[in-house]
Amino acid sequence: MIPILVKRDFMSRVKSTAYIITTVLGVLVFIGLTFAPPLIQYLENTLFTTGNLELLVLEQQAEQSFFPYLEKVSAEEEDLYLQAASGKDEREALRYVLDKGLTGLLLVDPPLYTLVTDDGSNMVINSKIENLLNRALTRANAEKLGLSPNDVNNLFQRADLRVRELGAETERGHEDQNQSMVLAYFLLFMIYMALILYGNMVASGVAEEKSSRIMEVMIATVKPLELMLGKIIGVGALGLLQFSIWMGVAALMSALGKTGILGGMLGGSVSLGSIPLQSVLWFGLFFLLGFFFYASIFAAAGAVVSRVEEVSQVVTIIMMFIIAGFFAAYISFLNPNSAFAVASSLIPFTAPMVMFARIVLSNPPATQIIASVLILTASVLAGAWISSKIYHLGVLLYGKRPSLLQIARLLREQN
Amino acid sequence: MSLVASEVTKRFRNVTAVDNLSFTVAEGSLFGFLGPNGAGKTTMMRLILGIIRADQGNVTWKGRPLRQGGRGLFGYLPEERGLYPKMRVDEHLQFLGRLNGLDRIKAVQETERWLERFDLGELGAKKIEELSKGNQQKVQTIGTMLHDPELLILDEPFAGLDPVNTALLKGVLLEYHREGKTIIFSSHRMEQVEKICEDIALINKGRLILNGNLSLIKRSMGRQILRLSLEGNQDFWAKIPGLSLLATGPEYMEFRLDNDTDPNRVLKEAIAAGRVTRFELAEPSLDQIFVEKVGAEA
Repeated sequence: MIPILVKRDFMSRVKSTAYIITTVLGVLVFIGLTFAPPLIQYLENTLFTTGNLELLVLEQQAEQSFFPYLEKVSAEEEDLYLQAASGKDEREALRYVLDKGLTGLLLVDPPLYTLVTDDGSNMVINSKIENLLNRALTRANAEKLGLSPNDVNNLFQRADLRVRELGAETERGHEDQNQSMVLAYFLLFMIYMALILYGNMVASGVAEEKSSRIMEVMIATVKPLELMLGKIIGVGALGLLQFSIWMGVAALMSALGKTGILGGMLGGSVSLGSIPLQSVLWFGLFFLLGFFFYASIFAAAGAVVSRVEEVSQVVTIIMMFIIAGFFAAYISFLNPNSAFAVASSLIPFTAPMVMFARIVLSNPPATQIIASVLILTASVLAGAWISSKIYHLGVLLYGKRPSLLQIARLLREQN
Repeated sequence: MSLVASEVTKRFRNVTAVDNLSFTVAEGSLFGFLGPNGAGKTTMMRLILGIIRADQGNVTWKGRPLRQGGRGLFGYLPEERGLYPKMRVDEHLQFLGRLNGLDRIKAVQETERWLERFDLGELGAKKIEELSKGNQQKVQTIGTMLHDPELLILDEPFAGLDPVNTALLKGVLLEYHREGKTIIFSSHRMEQVEKICEDIALINKGRLILNGNLSLIKRSMGRQILRLSLEGNQDFWAKIPGLSLLATGPEYMEFRLDNDTDPNRVLKEAIAAGRVTRFELAEPSLDQIFVEKVGAEA
């Protein structure tokens, strides 16, 4: 029974224009992301190059001239040329800049440094000159304090904290931590997207069946639970296919481009190929549990409205829960074993996202993982059962949308 | 071995849609379920199918609730028609056939056969939404019988069909009936039911008014209908007891004749009054029975 229903739901959507368009758009986005880092590089190299910068430096009288330091630092740059405006006053210096067509006039009067130029909005030039000034200043100050370049390097040395958890085999450095953060974030986002995207598809699918009035025939022929499962699995398979295509393209692209998508996107050094198998399996488990849990609620929501247009009003509430789950997981990132994170990994509405994030980021106790999975599984079964009741009830419910209270009353009457 | 509804009651809020209803549909009969709009026909059909649950009483088919009878046992045409609008006609029928237990090959074959039978042979590749309302209804009707169920439950199957298709469906139903299948269909149009049904149940406001074999019911009404045309004194009948005027038409007057009144006496009186051009005794029509019964209830 269910396979026939699944097949219909799958086939009728997979050929739809909307599905094909979203799939292709997704593929384009992933391809785009792959080429984004080289593209940005290219843009930086071409659009954002400044060309040669020629500056006239006018220095106020000082005990120690700053110009030699500026000159030394600018010599390390290829496209920077400095001239000292010796003996000129500001008016003459400006005239000189305009006559010669220089980039600008740099007034040095420590601690004030002023760039006079005809286009002050070019951030690239501004920051380049600021950078130059800072480097020159560091050098001047170091020399004043009698520090060698080596001393300067030592001064700016940073500590890299490595973390080893008790009982863990390996220790984690910053890189690793960042990597699992990026990974968790990415996969979390995938769960979030899938719940909203395919959950909505389930709800509107049910509402379509109601508004086209095919529901009464179906409910007479098939058990409500079977009908609902058929829809959820059909749409789920559709989502799985779409995600597989996207992931496949992403993996292919990252292999071709040798730049990880995530790396490109978030500046980390993660590529899809480096996702540990364990994370993928956890992802699969929580993805499925979360999807079944929310999809059955979406199905019930679709069953209480009379027309497809009303679906969005009802699903908004469900989406709130999903968004709450996403934020709970996001907050849990900071401290995956906080009381907040533990609690929200045991609440079925937030558990799929929070527990998954915790597992990827830390090593939560096995009891908590088991508890979370058990609670979720029980909630999936309870949710499917209640939803199938509402589903059955909803078949003959047309007209004004009933309130939650009315639904509860009708459910009681039905049994 | 039949469909038995015993003391079925269904209330919605404060409306009693079906009120202590009991009737039996013998296996193999072509059963008309009658009543005016809002009588509770659709609710009763949903109760038979187990789509909604009765507050009291139960309905069984061969001793068990219909839902427990297994796949493909029955075919159901709801009053509110509905199909998947985006699906192809043939794929839709195959889907319904498969749901009702046909294997893939059989589903394809039966779809083809039934589309031909309903003069829709060339529409198989069209989408449902491209079809006219009448043709959609035919497709849905095919969906109820494509898997050869032993029980057909059709809610107002003739509503919305033109005379040609009405005749076509009538033919199909009679053929199905000859194969020994049980058919229950509802209608609010009495004259339609009268022509094809043997057995009926007549309900009004959720209550059973009549149930049984149609000709037996007519005979047991204890009345006959008399149609008479007369050139002469039209008021002759007033003094005859047990005779009351139902209608005066251009061709004849229609009377209700009590069983105790001898038609011959009426004829004699009529001849005495003038030249009789028409004198016809008939059984009351379902319409008349209905009006009389419901009138008596009110």
